[in-house]
Amino acid sequence: MIVKPRRDKAWLGVLPVLLIVAFSAVVPLMTVVNYSVQDVLDFNTRFFVGLEWYEATLTDPRFQAAFFRQLAFSATILIIEIPLGILVARGIPRTSKYTGLIIVLLAIPLLIPWNVVGTIWQLFARSDIGLLGVVLNSVGIDYNYTSNPADAWVTLVAMDVWHWTSLVALLSFAGLSAIPPAFYQAAEIDGAGSWQIFRFVELPRLRSVLVIAVLLRLMDSFMIYTEPFVLTGGGPGNTTTFLSQYLATMAVGQFDLGPAAAFSVVYFLFTLLFCWLFYTSVIREDDG
Amino acid sequence: MAAIELANVSFGYPSDPSVRVIDGLSLSIADGERHAILGASGAGKTTLLNLLSGIFQPDEGQILFDGENVQGIGPGARSLTQVFQFPVLYESLSVYENLIFALKNRGEFDAEASKRVTEIVGELGLQESLERKPGQLDLYQKQLVAMAKAIVRSNTRLVLLDEPLTAVDPIRKWQMRRVLRRIQSRFGMTMVYVTHDQTEAMAFAEKISVLTTEGIAQTGTPDELYERPETPFVGHFVGSPGMNFLPVEALARDGLVGNGTTMIGFRQDWALIEAVGGRPKDLFDVTGIVRDVRLTHTYAGLEVGLIHLETSDGEIVVAGGKLDIGSEAGIRIHKVVRYEDGRLEATDDR
Repeated sequence: MIVKPRRDKAWLGVLPVLLIVAFSAVVPLMTVVNYSVQDVLDFNTRFFVGLEWYEATLTDPRFQAAFFRQLAFSATILIIEIPLGILVARGIPRTSKYTGLIIVLLAIPLLIPWNVVGTIWQLFARSDIGLLGVVLNSVGIDYNYTSNPADAWVTLVAMDVWHWTSLVALLSFAGLSAIPPAFYQAAEIDGAGSWQIFRFVELPRLRSVLVIAVLLRLMDSFMIYTEPFVLTGGGPGNTTTFLSQYLATMAVGQFDLGPAAAFSVVYFLFTLLFCWLFYTSVIREDDG
Repeated sequence: MAAIELANVSFGYPSDPSVRVIDGLSLSIADGERHAILGASGAGKTTLLNLLSGIFQPDEGQILFDGENVQGIGPGARSLTQVFQFPVLYESLSVYENLIFALKNRGEFDAEASKRVTEIVGELGLQESLERKPGQLDLYQKQLVAMAKAIVRSNTRLVLLDEPLTAVDPIRKWQMRRVLRRIQSRFGMTMVYVTHDQTEAMAFAEKISVLTTEGIAQTGTPDELYERPETPFVGHFVGSPGMNFLPVEALARDGLVGNGTTMIGFRQDWALIEAVGGRPKDLFDVTGIVRDVRLTHTYAGLEVGLIHLETSDGEIVVAGGKLDIGSEAGIRIHKVVRYEDGRLEATDDR
């Protein structure tokens, strides 16, 4: 019989990780939770207010407006980026001498810092000097993203699609590359058309990478801050003010620490909730 | 069902067409035949399969299905099916939907086709699995479904099998071989089975073609390949262990002369080991006797019952149990095939 040696000291090995996680995630989160139930007047003067800030946050019409705006934005970019990414991935040749080059070109938008992306589009879309804005206006389309909310939205969505479709495309390409040629061969022998090959060969095998892609894009887009901040600053009016920007205004601009903390917790929980809802619905479908 | 004919087919990959992977290959497969293509890795088995299925088109020569030249016709229009090394099924569809997928695509799913599907399902015992997804089946069952899928269309002219037992659990391989033979004889399909495994080829096929980089070395029934391999290569490749080869002069028998390239070949069970000093007068009724034999070891494990011998003309393996003889012995051979310049010359069978 083999007697397993007891390793009483093994937990010591996990300790560094626990400490790092504690300091990077748990402690800051707890600090925020702590603030969220207090009214902080100054460093030494604070009152316990219970769930008052939470109630205030959830009933704040500006929060609600930003929340629905946020939802609309995430839904829009997912609806565009996921199919478009798959389409792009299907267009990349699998075994060509240009495959590497195409992948590098596709990856370029992903390598650009977010505030630079905002700046690029801010200049590109300007109706006075930007290439896009000038061209659109010269062909008779009245376009000005700084004054027209619809234009601002279109520009934001276009920017996000430009920035992140590559991620979906690259993930999908990796997924497609993993499909053995025999599956395509079999489909061809079965007389399957292009749509059927996509529907019955590719899509089922892309499922796991698409789950990752949707989760990443959902989380990221739900927390988007930098690009709209640089591009529109949340305007015109509040029409492109998303949750994170509203939060930043509250916390850094007005220094309302209590409400901002409650807002943060609510924001965090909603992000978590949506990812969980999506993930569990996918997993449940797998079981069924 | 169709008779398949390859006439002088040559093919080189577009990346380097000067290298002929298949060079002037000719082969006839009868209608409703179980035919195996047996070859080592790199012999061009998969290329040959892809030429048959229409993924590749020959550079020269013709491929005929029932006399019809299929040049330029792609895999979808050749009315053939293929079973791959691993189960290739539509994972999001149920087993039943998988089975009728090709029928539906072609608008052939009528009452008659449905009856045939039911029949096949019954024959392969897939009734319980019809509503399941492939992901819920084990590899053996999945490969069964793939085989069922390959024969659902009654107008299938050719079923290609690309080492279909590779992924199957070893203990179920025999079961699957039986199933394959049964459905083939039941539905009378022409089947071409590509493999590097001679056991698989022997167990499956009515005829086997041994494929080498030089082309087809021999086509024949499993018995023919075993009993009368046309070249020493086929003798080595078919049978486990391979055939023994000795220069003809090694046989202590009058009248056996060769020019130095004349060889005799014999299977391990065509010879008997005996102690030196046996009665020489008995030798007249045997093919020959090899002297200067040194027993090196007996095989254990998988190949138990084989004796490894060293002779002055090379190593040979003969059948036999545990031996207690001196280090010197003779082997008496009662049947040989004789090769002249590497080609089969005659069989000497007493």
